[in-house]
Amino acid sequence: MSNRAVIVDRGYRSYDEERLGRRGAMRAIVKEGFRRVLGLRRKARRKLFPWSLIGISAAIAFIFVGLHWVAGVALGPSAPDLPGYGEYFDLNSGIAILFIAFAAPALLVPDRVEGVLNIYLSRPLRMVDYLAAKIAALAILVLSFYLVPQILMHLGLSVVSTEGFLSYMGANLDILWKVPVVALAYFTAHAAVAVTAAALIPREGFAAGAFFGGIFILNGVAELLTQLDVAGAKYAAFLAIEEYPRVIRDWIFDIDTVDYLVEQSGFEQWTAVPATVAVALLATTVVWARYRRLP
Amino acid sequence: MALLKVEHLTHRYGDVTALEDVTLEVPEGRVGLVGANGAGKTTLLRILLGMLHPEQGAIEVLGMPMTREPLEVRSRVGYMPEGACLPKDQTAADFVGYAAELAGLPVRAARRRASEILFLVGLHEERFRFLGDFSTGMVQRVKLAQAIVHDPELVLLDEPASGLDPEGREDMLLLINRLGEFGISVLFSTHIISDIEETCDWVVMLDAGKVLRAGPLGRLEVRDSITLEVLGDVAGLVAWLSDRGASVTAQGQVLDVSHTDGDTFDLVRDGLAATESGIVRLGVASTSLEEAFFLPAEENPS
Repeated sequence: MSNRAVIVDRGYRSYDEERLGRRGAMRAIVKEGFRRVLGLRRKARRKLFPWSLIGISAAIAFIFVGLHWVAGVALGPSAPDLPGYGEYFDLNSGIAILFIAFAAPALLVPDRVEGVLNIYLSRPLRMVDYLAAKIAALAILVLSFYLVPQILMHLGLSVVSTEGFLSYMGANLDILWKVPVVALAYFTAHAAVAVTAAALIPREGFAAGAFFGGIFILNGVAELLTQLDVAGAKYAAFLAIEEYPRVIRDWIFDIDTVDYLVEQSGFEQWTAVPATVAVALLATTVVWARYRRLP
Repeated sequence: MALLKVEHLTHRYGDVTALEDVTLEVPEGRVGLVGANGAGKTTLLRILLGMLHPEQGAIEVLGMPMTREPLEVRSRVGYMPEGACLPKDQTAADFVGYAAELAGLPVRAARRRASEILFLVGLHEERFRFLGDFSTGMVQRVKLAQAIVHDPELVLLDEPASGLDPEGREDMLLLINRLGEFGISVLFSTHIISDIEETCDWVVMLDAGKVLRAGPLGRLEVRDSITLEVLGDVAGLVAWLSDRGASVTAQGQVLDVSHTDGDTFDLVRDGLAATESGIVRLGVASTSLEEAFFLPAEENPS
């Protein structure tokens, strides 16, 4: 007989300590949302896609800084105007759309399909808490996707600036509000469509495809309809949801990249702001109508 | 304090009535909820958790009105759903810890509890494996673990032994039995009556959305009659007992006698003496839970 003692049953201990309630539960959902989207504590293949996109996004920011540095060193004051913060959104938003197309279904679809909603709703949580926490997780991830490379770029440009670090920072203080506001516009317009697709479609891949295809098909439909010789055809320009944030970006940064459908149809740039809000409200209504009857 | 108090509960899915005028009062302990598929068991459990809103009726869980304090009720109740409810891409430890956090436990406490509870359900070695790689038996254990990880006062188990092989089923019933020892009350739905007989001390029988019987298990198993095997003149004894108002059914030499007016044993003794019959055996007629389930409603022993 062995002399070593072996614990075969630890029994059961009750829990009489602190409970954090709804707020604690919502924090847990947000944290778990980050993990799911970024593939943390998951198998390696779940990490590949999101981290590739993050890497590309950061790389573009570093390339921008490099271009500015090379131009500054080689050409000095005669250097041409290089693309800046506003233009970076154009490049980064292409990758961000892919990120949103992946993240929104990853956050919502498996909980429904795998029946995990039953567990959430057996806890001290309401459906609205669950959805709010999921949207918060998506917002933090997507806004970080837009903002972190911009912050890196801002610091990089400040370092390589011929004016000196502090002078450059001081001269570009407006960036501190413009970039977050434009990032919010990109998030709101794109996430509204992505979340709606994720709420309605029971497969992650199909939901991503529906979002990705949907916003570009709407662009095409909007272009076709606005060309019709019919009264009120110009309002079809507002079907081009994908263009809203870019119009807002041009308006905020006071730049003129492309003449977007909204502008071609005779609307002011600011009209993209209420249009974005309207899309977000419509998406909220559809998603709530879907989820209030679940599970 | 009653574990559950339900009054005139009715719920319909469109034209289909899932529960009709259900009234119940269930004490603490291990309670079995038995009924055929579609009897309304899952609907009742979901209503008790506030996941479904009944058309009418009042519900109290652990002394709290469900309609007014659903979140408070849920913080003190655990739920093990019947169907799939686990994310395939998480490990058992991560998921059970997350389930504890969803019930409001701080992160460190949630991790500690997850580890303890997975040990308790026999999954300590497998806790870092992904749930998508688990067998049916292991999945059922994880489902039970997430239901009790936040130390609930009551746990609602919806068909916990479904899909398990005989050994897995025995293990699961053993775990359910142990929950009672830990001070956790259990409401356990199943359509397998022997599972209830093995684990519960109170039973509620549902049939087509109505309560067929409800009461302590012992009382449901015993009918108010006696069985005796007679030596000699069976017909004479039957006639003698029937003349005195007893209800007698005979199968060969075996009689089943019940008598509402007076002591049945005394009556049988007098009958045996009067007809000069002997007996081989005599005892209280017992009915299995399964037989009780199929008894006509008017013979309801509850």
